[in-house]
Amino acid sequence: MTMSRRTLLAAGGAGAAGAAAAALAGCGPAGPAGTAARTGPDLAAAAVVPKRPTTVRWWAARVARKDGGDLRPLLIREFNKKYPHITVRMIGAPAQTDTARAALATQIASGSPSPDVFMGDSVWPAQFAYNEMALPLRSLVGEDYWGRYPGPHVDALSYEDEVYAFPLYQDQPYLFYRKDLLRKHGLPVPRHWEELADSAAEVQRAGDADYGFVWQGSVYEGLTCNVTELVADAGGSILTEDGAGVTFDGPAGERALTYLRDLVARGITPGSVTTFIEQDSLDAFTSGRSIFLRNWSYAWGVANNPDSSAVAGKIGCVVRPGFEGEEGGWGCLGGWCNFVNPHSRNLGAAVAFARFLSDEEGQMVLAREAAVLPPLDEALGSRFVRGSDNPAFSEAHRVRLVARPVHSPHYPAVSKAVYTRANQVISGGSSVRTALASARRDLQAALKGEAL
Amino acid sequence: MRATPDFVTDAHRKGGVHPTARSAKRSGKGPRRAPEPRPGGKSIRDRQARTGWLYTTPALLVVAAVTIFPVVYSVVMSFTKVRLTHAGTQVTDWTTANYTTMLGSSAWREALLFTVGYTLVTVAVELALGTAVAVLLERLEAGRGWLLALLLIPWSLITVVSAQLWDYLYDATYGAVTWLFGLVLAEPPVILGTPVPAITGMAAADIWKTTPFVAVIVLAGLVRIPREQYEAAEMDGANAWTTFRRIVLPALRPVVAVAVLFRVLQAFGIFDLPFVLTQGGPGTATQSLAILGYRALFQDLNIGLGAAIATSTGLLVVLGCLLFLRVFRSQVDSAAEAGEGGAA
Repeated sequence: MTMSRRTLLAAGGAGAAGAAAAALAGCGPAGPAGTAARTGPDLAAAAVVPKRPTTVRWWAARVARKDGGDLRPLLIREFNKKYPHITVRMIGAPAQTDTARAALATQIASGSPSPDVFMGDSVWPAQFAYNEMALPLRSLVGEDYWGRYPGPHVDALSYEDEVYAFPLYQDQPYLFYRKDLLRKHGLPVPRHWEELADSAAEVQRAGDADYGFVWQGSVYEGLTCNVTELVADAGGSILTEDGAGVTFDGPAGERALTYLRDLVARGITPGSVTTFIEQDSLDAFTSGRSIFLRNWSYAWGVANNPDSSAVAGKIGCVVRPGFEGEEGGWGCLGGWCNFVNPHSRNLGAAVAFARFLSDEEGQMVLAREAAVLPPLDEALGSRFVRGSDNPAFSEAHRVRLVARPVHSPHYPAVSKAVYTRANQVISGGSSVRTALASARRDLQAALKGEAL
Repeated sequence: MRATPDFVTDAHRKGGVHPTARSAKRSGKGPRRAPEPRPGGKSIRDRQARTGWLYTTPALLVVAAVTIFPVVYSVVMSFTKVRLTHAGTQVTDWTTANYTTMLGSSAWREALLFTVGYTLVTVAVELALGTAVAVLLERLEAGRGWLLALLLIPWSLITVVSAQLWDYLYDATYGAVTWLFGLVLAEPPVILGTPVPAITGMAAADIWKTTPFVAVIVLAGLVRIPREQYEAAEMDGANAWTTFRRIVLPALRPVVAVAVLFRVLQAFGIFDLPFVLTQGGPGTATQSLAILGYRALFQDLNIGLGAAIATSTGLLVVLGCLLFLRVFRSQVDSAAEAGEGGAA
């Protein structure tokens, strides 16, 4: 954390920015000299679990337990039951995806063998693969390994026919709503977005809530998630399937952005949504100010807990609806996965650990104990998840996952093109058509690695 | 990095002569002559100089390693293709592509415009306010020390921390500033979510923090002006404004120059305020050059492009400062001359 903050601020100074550039790229590999460093990671070594005592350093952010604690120590204990001779040392990672990436990039690009395994965002694989900061895994696990995870999830972790990360946990969004207010006004749970807007407006008119519908509209990754799933709702996508062309500016993109803009224009969503990240929208909902909320699965635990929410017991949670006349049920795929540092000196042990967490053993621990969803089919379908009284868990299998356009090694620029332009539309700074035309140019530049 | 990057060859320097042709040419020329040692000259001064260099070498090496090398290397990277690979950072092929991409990008032009405009406005306001505060403080008989200490609190806060405070104040739901606006306006603005209020809000946070810094520097200059000059002006019948313009201002020239230079250098590299408050938004309204560079470098890992932004930003601010010093000096000089002429 200290380090990343330092590098961030170093990048800030105009003069010092150059130094930061060099800090990122300056140092050559400190790893084992000789051919291994030149030709790539030693995949043969990675395929063998060492017999002698080994230490693996795992860089990971907190994984929430159902009881509010941290799941990481338990995962390590379970791993040690199977591999008692492999010690796992935990390195605390920043929870913020950008901060974590900046710190890791500096470390791994310069050839550091530590951490051996690092937990990362599921939007990183293409970028980390392109920059050779993650170990390719296909040859290590067998072909049928990946079939046990949701297709869109594995797809997100892939780049050019290789898979670069072991899935750890999955996140997906839901529509949360105020049961009591809908009942009071005799309104159904919205079947499509248009109905949601009208219902919200009705309840607002009656003075029963300040806001109709809150979501995440700040200039950041979360807005890309909101837009991606809404475009999918409208039957479209951001990029073509091969990721080479732009489709965002088609009719689906127009419908999605127009809808968001109109929500704000009609006063159903407050103008301040342009500054909202997850917590802001959740606060608006748990304080009773909003009827509807779009948020990730964790929001159920917070919003339905009397200690943290004024509306506990009065809320419902459903799979997101779609647009009228379109099939809905989409939800943006989020999640975290484990990468193996290709410079690790303990590749075999590192792979064993990262794999363990994604295998049935690790995933069932998540299913039983975690406040997050395990992506493995067996775990997702287990009674712990399917039979959970948390609808965000029991309904999880019904969400149709849509990945963000993550196959570009320049995904951050791709995402930025989406969220800055969408933010301009909802803040009223730009018309839908102008924004989509600009987004097309930005996205094309991003795909070429020329976007700023 | 490769031990010997293939771009550092004479072939490139001489405009792309084929390597074999180059080596043939060089072998024809024979070995380069080394500079001849100077005969004699073993005076005491030379010896002292040598000792001096000997003592400072370790420090200079450290400076070179942590400052000069990174700066030079990032300039090099800005003119090359940079790829992160398993074998380390590969720096290959001279190219100006990073700069053409940057110059052709509307995001860069917008960021430049924002950064320059923001710098000019905030520094001007800080200078005016800071000078006013300093003049006031200088006339205070009692309590100057206390006031000074109080004034310095904003300056002593780490910007990331004070930015968080401002973030609370500006919050669109429960922020105090939003609430205040709500008292007079029917619809309070979403301060950090609308371009003009966001830029203004950020500038206010900046001015709040750095005005005391300017005030302290200017105060240091004020107390150095001899009393007699004021008395002389008074005897000549100069009013307060004339005295300020013809005596105080010229005398303050060096300190104001220092204050402005410090402020311009900092304001031009503005990063922490937008990073905490707006992430460059709404849209791209508060995206400074430093934010742009950070994103290219640390989010997109587009190192060549990021280095180009960093290098050009550095160059621009240095040029800007030189230009300022030149203009400022001539301006104040002419004011001083006019002042002397008037007094005569």
